[in-house]
Amino acid sequence: MARILVIDDNADLLQMIRMLLEGRGHHQVILSAEGKEGLEKALADPPDLAIIDVMMPGMTGYEVCRRMRQEPATANIPIIILTARGQPVDRQAALEAGADDYMAKPVTMADLLERVNSLLAQKPARAPAGPRGGVIAVLSLRGGVGATTVAVNTAATFVRQAPERVCVVDLSPSSGHVALQLGLRPEPNWSALGLLSSSPNPSLMRNYLLVHPSRLYVLAAPFVPVFESGLTPQLTRMVVDMLRQSFDTVVVDLPSVLGEGVMAVLENADSICVVTTADQGSIQTTIATLQVLKAWSSRVRLALNQIVPGGAPPVDALQRVLKQSFAAVIPFDEAQGQALAQGKPLALAAPTSPLAQGVAQLTQRVTLGAA
Amino acid sequence: MEEIKTAGWLAADFFSHNYRISGSIDIRKKSLYDQLNDPTTGFVMLQDAYISPIDRPADIIATYEASYMTKSNLTLALVAQGDDALGRKQAFGSYYGTYLHRVFLTVPSIEVVGYLRLSTRVDLRRLLSLDTEDFIPILDARVCASIRPDVVFTGGGVLVNKHHIGAFCLTEEK
Repeated sequence: MARILVIDDNADLLQMIRMLLEGRGHHQVILSAEGKEGLEKALADPPDLAIIDVMMPGMTGYEVCRRMRQEPATANIPIIILTARGQPVDRQAALEAGADDYMAKPVTMADLLERVNSLLAQKPARAPAGPRGGVIAVLSLRGGVGATTVAVNTAATFVRQAPERVCVVDLSPSSGHVALQLGLRPEPNWSALGLLSSSPNPSLMRNYLLVHPSRLYVLAAPFVPVFESGLTPQLTRMVVDMLRQSFDTVVVDLPSVLGEGVMAVLENADSICVVTTADQGSIQTTIATLQVLKAWSSRVRLALNQIVPGGAPPVDALQRVLKQSFAAVIPFDEAQGQALAQGKPLALAAPTSPLAQGVAQLTQRVTLGAA
Repeated sequence: MEEIKTAGWLAADFFSHNYRISGSIDIRKKSLYDQLNDPTTGFVMLQDAYISPIDRPADIIATYEASYMTKSNLTLALVAQGDDALGRKQAFGSYYGTYLHRVFLTVPSIEVVGYLRLSTRVDLRRLLSLDTEDFIPILDARVCASIRPDVVFTGGGVLVNKHHIGAFCLTEEK
């Protein structure tokens, strides 16, 4: 027998649901005719499941749902939203507010009881709230040094060890190339997140992710460049926080601009991988970048990426100039051109290739854990 | 009060140029079609009205126990069941309406695709000008916000205010 809280301003419906859940479901039912009162009841004595109407005077069901998700005591309680507003956008809004299920009125009592029992059966499998996975931010303030290649191959290296547990995020507002390098069409992408009317929830985030055949998840950048920096800093932080709740490793390919969104990711990243090449311009930018990141120097890892063929780079000299050792030197790999053309990252297609080995060295040097 | 609500109130979505207004309308005496086309009143009363901007149609920005809406400013009304959008003379089992005509039409901020049910072939002059009814029923309707094509509403019926129609296109006939 479970304790079920039902919040609806329709007195008749409340009584019908009570009769159903008590009579046929053998559950204990707590009723409330107002959103605010229902929320207070939920917080005072958390139920096993809540059924909430959306359209209630005062506090709407969405708001009740959001507040319950914010409180640790009620954050993991299964919630069914029940409403007369039955359009697809309303279903989306209910899930965004944190509901587990959504039913449009009129509903049959048999369907309602089935959903209730189904959610109660799933309850033990619900994931605990709070940050879990590690975040690796990949950054180069100079474009064209292969930062996206490093980000994609880093994620690919991790996913080989843990399929389903890795996500790569492309935050470029200028037609990012993460999806391209993985041979994926960037639909959906994060542009849709900016249109959400409220905070997305972790389970809903999966709707915005692409899945690579290697079981690597991808939050792609929109194909068409967007104005300014794309996602707001607040939404960027929220998205990365949610992804780290669902994945062991989140690799974020950052744009080459130190905007507020980029800073939000850097602040919360476990490791910051700064990618550079050996040319003079790139080294100058990297020196300046390291100065900007000085406060987070313990989390910064330098990667020297050879993007053109030639002899061995003057690693020691470069380390002296940069006043920091390289975590990895990624050699030039002639197979990379073909990998880009085919959308097959070398870390997956040729794990023993020089580039894949260099990236593997980098992944061993990054730190994952609470930032 | 609650007994009355469950017995004779119809949940519907009403649209003006910029807003989606959801709530319940009393249809004990007349169908929604008949109420909207009743020339003796210029407004309809909605109980438990929930108001959302049309570009954020799931965002409830205001709620009111009662809301009066001016019919002339409504662009359309959307209901789940097609029969609720039909007048008494068009109800199931009547002779009225043996032809289904697929139509595409626009009202401000909104595009509608669905079926016109008529007893004859379409006479646009009659439909849009001569007929006295202001609201035209479109069945199996798909309503889409022009500025947010990803925002789609579906319903068994939609009543479109013909005075707000911009484009009216017959796309095929059945």
